[in-house]
Amino acid sequence: MTAVIKTHLPVFVVAAPLFVSFLLSPMARRFGWVQSLVVGVQGLGLLLAVYLAGMILKSSGVPIIYSMGGWPAPWGIELWTGSLGAFFLLVVAGVTLPISLYAVNNLSDEVGDATRSTRFFVLYLLLAGVLAGMALTNDLFNIFVLVEVATISCCGLVSARRGPNAAKAAFNYLILATLGSGLILGGIGLVYMITGNLNMGFAGIALNGVWQDYPHVVWMAMSFFLVGFGVKAALFPLHVWLPDAHSTAPTPASAILSGLAVKGYIICLVKILFGVFEVHLLDVFRLDQILVLLGMLAILAGSILALAQGELKRRLAFSTVAQVGYIVLGFGLMNIKGVAGTLFYLASHAVIKSTLFLAAGALISATGKTHVKDFAGVGRKMPITMGVFSIASLGLVGIPLFSGFVGKWYLLLGSLEVGNLTAAGVIGIGSVLCAIYLFPIIRTAYFEPAPEDDWQDPGVPQRLALVMLGIAVIGLGVLPGPLLQLAQKAAADLLIIP
Amino acid sequence: MKILLGKVLINYPYFAAVILFAIGSATVLTRSNLFKKLIGINIMESAIFLMFIAAGSRRDGVVPILHMDDSLRPYINPLPSALMLTGIVVSVSVTAFALALIVRLYRFYGTTDAKRMSDIRNGVAKE
Amino acid sequence: MKDFVLRRVVALLLPFIQMFGIYVIMHGHTSPGGAFAGGMVVGLGVIGFSTVFGIEQGKTKMPEHVTTITESYGTLWYILMGLVGIFKGLPFLANKLAVDVGVPGELTSGGLIGLIGVGVGIRVASTMVTLFFTMMEEEA
Repeated sequence: MTAVIKTHLPVFVVAAPLFVSFLLSPMARRFGWVQSLVVGVQGLGLLLAVYLAGMILKSSGVPIIYSMGGWPAPWGIELWTGSLGAFFLLVVAGVTLPISLYAVNNLSDEVGDATRSTRFFVLYLLLAGVLAGMALTNDLFNIFVLVEVATISCCGLVSARRGPNAAKAAFNYLILATLGSGLILGGIGLVYMITGNLNMGFAGIALNGVWQDYPHVVWMAMSFFLVGFGVKAALFPLHVWLPDAHSTAPTPASAILSGLAVKGYIICLVKILFGVFEVHLLDVFRLDQILVLLGMLAILAGSILALAQGELKRRLAFSTVAQVGYIVLGFGLMNIKGVAGTLFYLASHAVIKSTLFLAAGALISATGKTHVKDFAGVGRKMPITMGVFSIASLGLVGIPLFSGFVGKWYLLLGSLEVGNLTAAGVIGIGSVLCAIYLFPIIRTAYFEPAPEDDWQDPGVPQRLALVMLGIAVIGLGVLPGPLLQLAQKAAADLLIIP
Repeated sequence: MKILLGKVLINYPYFAAVILFAIGSATVLTRSNLFKKLIGINIMESAIFLMFIAAGSRRDGVVPILHMDDSLRPYINPLPSALMLTGIVVSVSVTAFALALIVRLYRFYGTTDAKRMSDIRNGVAKE
Repeated sequence: MKDFVLRRVVALLLPFIQMFGIYVIMHGHTSPGGAFAGGMVVGLGVIGFSTVFGIEQGKTKMPEHVTTITESYGTLWYILMGLVGIFKGLPFLANKLAVDVGVPGELTSGGLIGLIGVGVGIRVASTMVTLFFTMMEEEA
């Protein structure tokens, strides 16, 4: 039995959340079962992901290749569990578990009765399974299908809250994201036309031989992918849908959207850029400089826009735009330190931003207020929520011993290694701006007199979720060891350095 | 000029796809009526389907089914067609979801125009 | 709609539409068409019935609790068929049953693909019907 599970591990990781999500909707009357099934399958997913990552680490990065239906690579579809896949899978499993724990018995205010909450969980698990699929897939068309399913479930999650604002935000998101997937599909079509392969490895090999004959097609495919995934990942000039969508969604949905869904698209983009076009072509077409430039723009613009926001959730949403900039900038550096740092930063931002959104949701639902200046004295009334919020803020700013620091440090080292002082400066300025827009919230919460209202920390599962995430923020900062090792292996794989 | 015209005539499906794509994305970005935006999305996706299927087709190609035609004429590449069937399924689901959202918005605002909606939300216009 | 001709024609055509849809679903692997197209035909049959005979009448034929179950379990069926491969000691979705696979034109030649198609067809049909009912309800 264990041997069977071990050989089919990649399939189980992807299929288990999907299986449970399709099991749920006829069970809406037994809502308790629905919740325990959701949390259970997420826990199982975390166990499997840790085991898979351990296997990859032990074999020092030798990928586990699984051919669906027994058909080998150029004909069949494969699941490719390399170090990058195992890394992202670990992040997805580690963050979705606390978020689903937070959603337990906590959806009635924002989503509605048991039937609507069950639908919410169906979409949530669908998104979790699809993100796991994005981590492991090695097929261009599968990427399109996964991206599209993720988009639809994200829009469903945004529109889960009642009222016209959520519907409007979801509609805008849907239209722009579909525009993006149209571009992605076009890019896939161009790559297929000149290589005749949809498997990323084989397409990369074929492209290496023919790209000189079709420089314009390669250029066009690259820009299609960059803009298409850029819209979905809210890369700076294309971020217009994100603040509305992420701030009107129900709290657990905002957490998974900002923390993970955006990163899923970035991982897909990176897989295509580094797996199909490969470092050599990116260098020839100067895509590395474009990525660094876009990243710097996003950091500055996102941080300044976040400063201007008065609503707590909108401020956090704009902060996501800035952090996407860091991640994209790191991939543009194209050296081991930069790419490993950006992967680690991706993981720590996934943890930190979901923590911030969950804590913000708890604050908003306890106090009924949304503006950042309204949370005076919350720190003493809701010690756990505000404590975890402060830890996560420190992490996002990049204070040493918190998880954001490790990623930012390696990003700095990477940008100094390529001699890009502007990028290093922008990284520093971004951190300062981040402190400027997050620390006032903490100061108001702890050092201003509290009103007489009776505000309380949320229920037990929510507290457990917040504490788990808070421990993860500190743990990743103090002991980055194995995850950082995995990130370095993934970076070496992406850059094709033995 | 003659060579260029010849290229256009040989590759006409791709040019049609580009024109359709431009029409579709312009409709999405410039129209404020939500239905028109949705129609633009559908036109744009059709353009990409056309491009994909044109990439798989060939002149005088036959249907790639084994027992239907025993002559050894070249057959078209079935893979893009199969992929585009998936793409059509995806676009149908996006369209259905967007229609449901439009219905919800219409019930609240009484209009399908994005500009009027934001006017109503900002209190400029009456419902 | 109270029109006599319309009601008679739909009543006469409905069985044939449904049969054709089921035929397309079953023969997806030997001829053009397939589970999605066939499921659409089956679902559109029910939608045509409900537009002519009224939504209430249509809902008695396809009640909501039935469509919820068929929708979810139609997709589950796909994953279960994939697990058949694992139970036989082969990869996920491996196409190995006791029948001969690969005889052109035979209905059983698809092996598991035909069975998967049935699940997908059921799912597509019930999804189309659910979509139609929700949209009509929202309008009212």
